[in-house]
Amino acid sequence: MSDQSALLREPWLDFGRQREAGKFGIWVFLASETLFFGALMLTYTVCRIEHPEAFAAAGRETNVWYGTINTAVLLTSSLTMAIAAQASEASAQLRRLVLACLMLTAMLGLAFIVIKGFEYKEDIDKQLVPGAGFALSHPGAQLFYGFYWLVTGVHAIHLSIGIALVSRLFWVLLRRQLPAKDNPEIEVTALYWHLVDIVWIFLYPLIYLPGRAS
Amino acid sequence: MIWAALLALLVLSLVAAYVPMGRMTTASGIIIAGVKSTLVVLLFMELASAKPLVRIAAISGLVFVIAMFALTFADVLARI
Amino acid sequence: MTDALLAGELPLPPRPDYLRHGSTISSWLATTDHKRIAILYAITITFFFFLGGAAITAVRLELFQPNGWLLTSDTYNKLFSFHGIIMVWFFLVPSIPNTLGNFLLPLMIGAPDVAFPRLNLFSWYLTVAAGAFTVYALVAGGVDTGWTFYTPYSSMFSNTHVFAAAAGVFVVGFASIATGVNFIATTHMLRAPGMTWFRLPLFVWAIYATSLIMVLATPVLAISLLLVIAERVLGLPIFDPARGGDPILFQHLFWFYSHPAVYIMVLPAMGVVSEIIPCFARRRIFGYDFMVYAMLAIAGVGFFVWGHHMFVSGQSALASLVFSFLSFIIAVPSAIKVFNWTASLYRGQISFESPMLYALGFVGLFTTGGLSGLFLASIPVDIHVTDTYFVVAHFHYIMVGGSVSAFFAGLHFWWPKVTGKLYPESWAKFAAILMYAGFNMTFLPQFFAGYLGMPRRYHTYPAEFQIYNVMSSAGAAVLAIAYLLPLGYLTWSLFYGGKAAKNPWGATGLEWTTGSPPPPKNFDRQPRVDRGPYDYHAEGMSAGTDPPEMQNARETR
Repeated sequence: MSDQSALLREPWLDFGRQREAGKFGIWVFLASETLFFGALMLTYTVCRIEHPEAFAAAGRETNVWYGTINTAVLLTSSLTMAIAAQASEASAQLRRLVLACLMLTAMLGLAFIVIKGFEYKEDIDKQLVPGAGFALSHPGAQLFYGFYWLVTGVHAIHLSIGIALVSRLFWVLLRRQLPAKDNPEIEVTALYWHLVDIVWIFLYPLIYLPGRAS
Repeated sequence: MIWAALLALLVLSLVAAYVPMGRMTTASGIIIAGVKSTLVVLLFMELASAKPLVRIAAISGLVFVIAMFALTFADVLARI
Repeated sequence: MTDALLAGELPLPPRPDYLRHGSTISSWLATTDHKRIAILYAITITFFFFLGGAAITAVRLELFQPNGWLLTSDTYNKLFSFHGIIMVWFFLVPSIPNTLGNFLLPLMIGAPDVAFPRLNLFSWYLTVAAGAFTVYALVAGGVDTGWTFYTPYSSMFSNTHVFAAAAGVFVVGFASIATGVNFIATTHMLRAPGMTWFRLPLFVWAIYATSLIMVLATPVLAISLLLVIAERVLGLPIFDPARGGDPILFQHLFWFYSHPAVYIMVLPAMGVVSEIIPCFARRRIFGYDFMVYAMLAIAGVGFFVWGHHMFVSGQSALASLVFSFLSFIIAVPSAIKVFNWTASLYRGQISFESPMLYALGFVGLFTTGGLSGLFLASIPVDIHVTDTYFVVAHFHYIMVGGSVSAFFAGLHFWWPKVTGKLYPESWAKFAAILMYAGFNMTFLPQFFAGYLGMPRRYHTYPAEFQIYNVMSSAGAAVLAIAYLLPLGYLTWSLFYGGKAAKNPWGATGLEWTTGSPPPPKNFDRQPRVDRGPYDYHAEGMSAGTDPPEMQNARETR
């Protein structure tokens, strides 16, 4: 098939095999990313075990609405990304659907970052940046916000990389430089995107939900 | 469908966070996050229909994260 | 029939080998050929090896005298830190995997290249960028935290260039992950027809097991350094005890990577030796299956022993107990490997060419290092010798005596394949013996000094330890000569060495069936594999029992 020969790369002789290798490779990388974020969450967990009250008090200061809306935004972006990936596999007729979904995904990712920006501004106004003049008196609360700024920052960097990848893919497909049907780059980008979503799914209860019940 | 389930779980975890259940309040948040990610991994990321090799790759990361937590807890939980 | 095809006896159109296939600078810097990337890596790590070596030369000179006659304490701290950082992350970790592994993995499995050639090149550029950061840290004034970056010293108190050094290591970690992903995918997806898992050469298994560790452990190193950078540069509280942080947590994260990293360094060395010993004993490897399982066990269990670096850190007694037990467990697969190498020599026709000398040196030094590791796994002894030269001697026996010897073994073994040239064998033998002698002269006295209580990382020491330090420094001079010799005669061989045949050692293995040096796509015809990896004699027989024509047929396959 001509579509597939346009996508074939060195050193592969067989397109199916190349696609399979790309998928396997990105999964191995995602396993690596699991350890990356796992280590961050371990840091959080150890600190929280050592300072349970401080973490509850600090968690109450986060804005749960920004957090919840952003979670919904990311979950929706995962849906559009999944549709794009499955449409590209299903049929060459669905090229426009793939393009639309890719664009939606990138827009939702951007929306997440914008909302996050508003949230950061509010946090700065409330003096929730660790250091001199920090709003909460308990020493452990600074640890919570140390983690908060670091992990949301690292997540935002991952998300920005995702947005860049999706936008590039959108552009390449729009210009018809590569076919959309069975394009392994769509599948690989989608898997990465979902991982970034999953990281946020776990960050949501860790950051926004502690200390709400009391 | 999956998307609706994910959003429903999101609302559920938000509500559960305000119900005082002691330790279960924290646990409910993590458990729901686990369920949500399982949905994403199995259905959006198509792990349910993937080859065994890909499944092993996906699980290996999780296994070593668990080992990292378990052995670190052998220190932290026995220390404080 | 297939043998005739594989041996390339049918006439083929002449084509340049990979070294002569394009000679511009950009044909090297933009190459995606795994063999050329291996050469780029080799040049890079040679540079770093001598850089790290220069730093430790100054340290050893200083230690001739107990009173600090040459360097200030600050300079001394910076030099040993720089030595550690460079040698661990810019020489040992990439040494065998990224040079020999990169070159040989596709050749050994009968593939035209690695699975993701552009990622492979990208990982080299990351390594170079990371190296620039680290060298900048040295030029700008150095870093004095030791290679371990322990908090809270590194994150709050040190007034040196911790950021640049940590950033360098952070970046080189991603190079490592990229390489690991690439090698895992290559081994799974690109094996030639007939190359089943249990026909893979042990070197491939070793590289595969190493890649697993790279992929699963390195991200945790990245996090531990990221946290140090965040605390130091951004002022976020993470490990600061005054603000409730837990400095021991850093050690957990750091050693979760850095203990498995020891296996990143030594597993490939085991792979190299497992190729060389059968070849020069003309024997099948003893217990192939167990060698494979042992390597996978080392890679797996290696993740669960990190706490033995922390017996005196203040971690809980329970954790120390668990980690001590697990550390004893990992000695079992390591011992299996040593026994199997020695058993492979039994009833062999052993010849002592230079690669074999290096490889046998590896077995002896690795065994010494491994056995001294058992002392350190046992808590009472470890508490006595923690942070003494006993520990320094132990890990140098593994990492320098083990890994570096094996790197030189592999370098000599595959040099004719990589360059197409023969080196002067008598010089090589001399260097191999000198390296073994020099190494023991340097590090054996450190066991004694450490056991008697000489602490590591001190610039001055009580005069009673001077005798050991003089022996050690004198040995280091011998060792330095032994490392410089190959640089000389191997470079010489590039210009004046004789032309190497396809298979100068009579070894089995697919890499020896293609030209020396190999063509750009490795094989002129897709290889097919119909036998196990170490087919030096018929199964159940001992070396030399086959008639000569059989042996010749095997040697060229």
